[in-house]
Amino acid sequence: MEDTLLRIEEISKHFGGVYAVNEVNLNVDHGGIWGLVGPNGSGKSTLFNTILGLHKPDHGDIYFEDKCVTNLAPHQMYDLGLANAFQVPRLFYSMTVLDNMLVAARRQQGDKLFNGLFLRRRWQEQEKGLISEALDILDIVGLDELSFTPAKELSGGQRKLLELGRGLMAKPKLLLLDEPAAGINPVLGKRIFEKLRDLSKNGIAFFIVEHRLELLFEFASWVYVMDKGKLVLAGEPKTITDNPLFYSIYLGDE
Amino acid sequence: MMINWPQVLFNSAITGSLYLIGAVGLTLTYGLSKFPNFAHAEFITLGAFIGYLVAEQLGLGWPLALLIAFLVSGTVGVLCYRGIFQPLAKRGSSIIHLMVASIALGFILRHSIGAIWTWKPVYFSAAWTSFDVGSMRISSLWLWLIVTAISLSFAIHFLLMKTRIGKAIRASASNPELALASGINVNRVILITWFIGTGLAAIAGIFRGADTQIWPMTGWDIILPIFAVAILGGIGNFYGAIAAAFIIGLAENVGVVGLIALGLSTTYRIGIAFLILIITLIVKPEGLAMLFRRF
Amino acid sequence: MDPLLYVLDLVVFIGIFSIVAISLNLEFGFTGLANFGKVAFFLIGAYTYALLSNIGVPFFFCLMAGAVIAAAFGLLISLPALRLRADYLSIAVLAFGEILRLFVKSEDWLAGGDWGLTVAPAISVAGVSHRTDAFINIALVYFCLAICFLVIHYLANAPYGRAIRAIREDEVAAEALGKNVSKYKAQVLMLGSAMTGIAGGLYVQYLHCVLPNMFMPMITFTVWIMVLLGGPGNSWGVLLGAGLVEIFDRGTNILKDYISIPIDPSNLQYILFGTLIILILLYRPQGLLKESTVRTKVQRLIYNGRHTIKNRRN
Repeated sequence: MEDTLLRIEEISKHFGGVYAVNEVNLNVDHGGIWGLVGPNGSGKSTLFNTILGLHKPDHGDIYFEDKCVTNLAPHQMYDLGLANAFQVPRLFYSMTVLDNMLVAARRQQGDKLFNGLFLRRRWQEQEKGLISEALDILDIVGLDELSFTPAKELSGGQRKLLELGRGLMAKPKLLLLDEPAAGINPVLGKRIFEKLRDLSKNGIAFFIVEHRLELLFEFASWVYVMDKGKLVLAGEPKTITDNPLFYSIYLGDE
Repeated sequence: MMINWPQVLFNSAITGSLYLIGAVGLTLTYGLSKFPNFAHAEFITLGAFIGYLVAEQLGLGWPLALLIAFLVSGTVGVLCYRGIFQPLAKRGSSIIHLMVASIALGFILRHSIGAIWTWKPVYFSAAWTSFDVGSMRISSLWLWLIVTAISLSFAIHFLLMKTRIGKAIRASASNPELALASGINVNRVILITWFIGTGLAAIAGIFRGADTQIWPMTGWDIILPIFAVAILGGIGNFYGAIAAAFIIGLAENVGVVGLIALGLSTTYRIGIAFLILIITLIVKPEGLAMLFRRF
Repeated sequence: MDPLLYVLDLVVFIGIFSIVAISLNLEFGFTGLANFGKVAFFLIGAYTYALLSNIGVPFFFCLMAGAVIAAAFGLLISLPALRLRADYLSIAVLAFGEILRLFVKSEDWLAGGDWGLTVAPAISVAGVSHRTDAFINIALVYFCLAICFLVIHYLANAPYGRAIRAIREDEVAAEALGKNVSKYKAQVLMLGSAMTGIAGGLYVQYLHCVLPNMFMPMITFTVWIMVLLGGPGNSWGVLLGAGLVEIFDRGTNILKDYISIPIDPSNLQYILFGTLIILILLYRPQGLLKESTVRTKVQRLIYNGRHTIKNRRN
């Protein structure tokens, strides 16, 4: 099982007696695009938040690179190589787009109390590289012209893009994306998925919740389907779309 | 050391009654407006002085003093909410800004009171009859306080459970969006709650003033235990507040016995409420609310 | 009274309260922590200084001990701060300040209770005038202020400052982006409390006495006015705020000697302060000076460099 990056075993999470996630098992391997779909309220976001460490699961365990991470805090998960982009962007709204990106940068020298004060040369040198990296990513998501704009002045779509950009800036091994294409124009949405595919070839794994199924199914190599907190289907996009069960649970209620 | 336990219990009931009347308004406005009104202390003080004005300076007697203090304090409370907190909330101020504004309002009220009545303590001249029951010394003021607390509790219970406005208050506190969607005028509900809440603070002020002294710090002197009651009871939870008021009343009075036994200053009695406050916040910030889910 | 001495005295006060104000700015302006108990740490610094100084500990160590003990209490306060909502934290810290004042008031054996302690001046040169004494104090206070200011200024403009601003804006997002929120909050509260402790020591050193009544909640509130008026998140603004508030404070005190008004000036002063703060919150919540952005010079340079290359390619 060398390839397994994320392994979820029997995870359950309930809120006030209602199971949001119920005994879910799944794996995500290094690299590639992994999809997670299901109707609204099927527990996808809760599952993501549990992986991220924002919720403690009531039952079950989570392994990241074969290390048990069930009870780690979000910043510890980040240190191991996990990042995410929230469904509803949680930006640092009074800060500029570029500063939002830079917060996410990994292994910063200057964000420690001592180094920030006394090793100024060291972090200033690193900072130059980080700024270039951030601008590269802003280029990808098409926000580089807005680098010095406060995040609160961005439109809804631009906020989603910055949220995604921030996730990429964290240079994770696994990036959880909660509906990255929602609210973004279709052409750009497709371009972003193409970019994600390129990046995934370099070893980043993307685990994506997406309601625009045609887009996700075009790019994903493996898709999980959730319904009412349970994992009901798993397979390549082709086998999923061929399965009548998929239509009954996913499209049946629309 | 001989400890007069019946007296300790009776004193606990007195303390608890006072804290209950003082804390009900705080917990209701806190639950509804989602910020602690630090100026609540000054509404207690205002009530004490209005009571003093009516009963002593104008000589109109106690019942009228309670009524007018309730109305005046409630009106000032509503005006302050309309003039300061509502506009701030509309501008999207953070909870920190609302708290700072309430402290600022507290200073304005306290020192306006100080400017009008000066900082020299004054006293109610009414002489309360006191008598002994067994080993207990009982003053009629204290009986009145307990009776008032009990009748107010029933009145508020009736208001919250049986009247339309009470149901609207509960709905708005637990889910403002839903309340708004179901046709409740949340703004009006908040104003009525502020009126009742700051009005009740005035009643507590009169009793506190009658029991000790009336000066611009009358409210601030007991604000800590009142906050402790609101938090131990669970913010916005009236029934939790009843239980919490008597728990803290008991803890303080038993604690005082303990302080004396240990040879410590009894000024630490306020520290007991502080201790309960801190422990509640650290162990169970939602307080006793889980015992009283009905509200 | 000697008018120059009066001005010098004002300058010392501005310096001392500027230290407290910029430390609150670090906590509230940059990190978003509502510390409503600043006076508690001021008191800790003051009493530590007074008690140690009276048993003959040298000046510098008294001041540092005040800073260290205040920082330790800052750490203690940060433990609930990590879990508590802003409103709960404010109530707890405000109450903590009141309890502490009660403690020094009640325990006569410790620090003289209500009557407080007198403290010998630290730097006493035999036979110097009051003016020289004031100048020495000004040098001392502003030296400490400069150090605190530089520490905060450098931190705020380092990636550290970016991290704490991110925590202020959205704790959950900052945590998910690898910032150990609890560690940052603890560090900020320790640092801010240490600075406030130093200010407390300087205050006692200057006034030569310490009394429980010097530590009313009004102190906390005055410092909040300085920060909110000057501009949260802007160190220069907060210095401006501290200066203005102290001058206003003195101004109303002087006026009462010359103008007779029907209202007691000390009451009037509090009423004006309260009104001022509500007006600021309503009409200029960002304060006089807006929050300074993190240094963008390097960012601009790199950005422009890239664009020149891009344009040349096109």
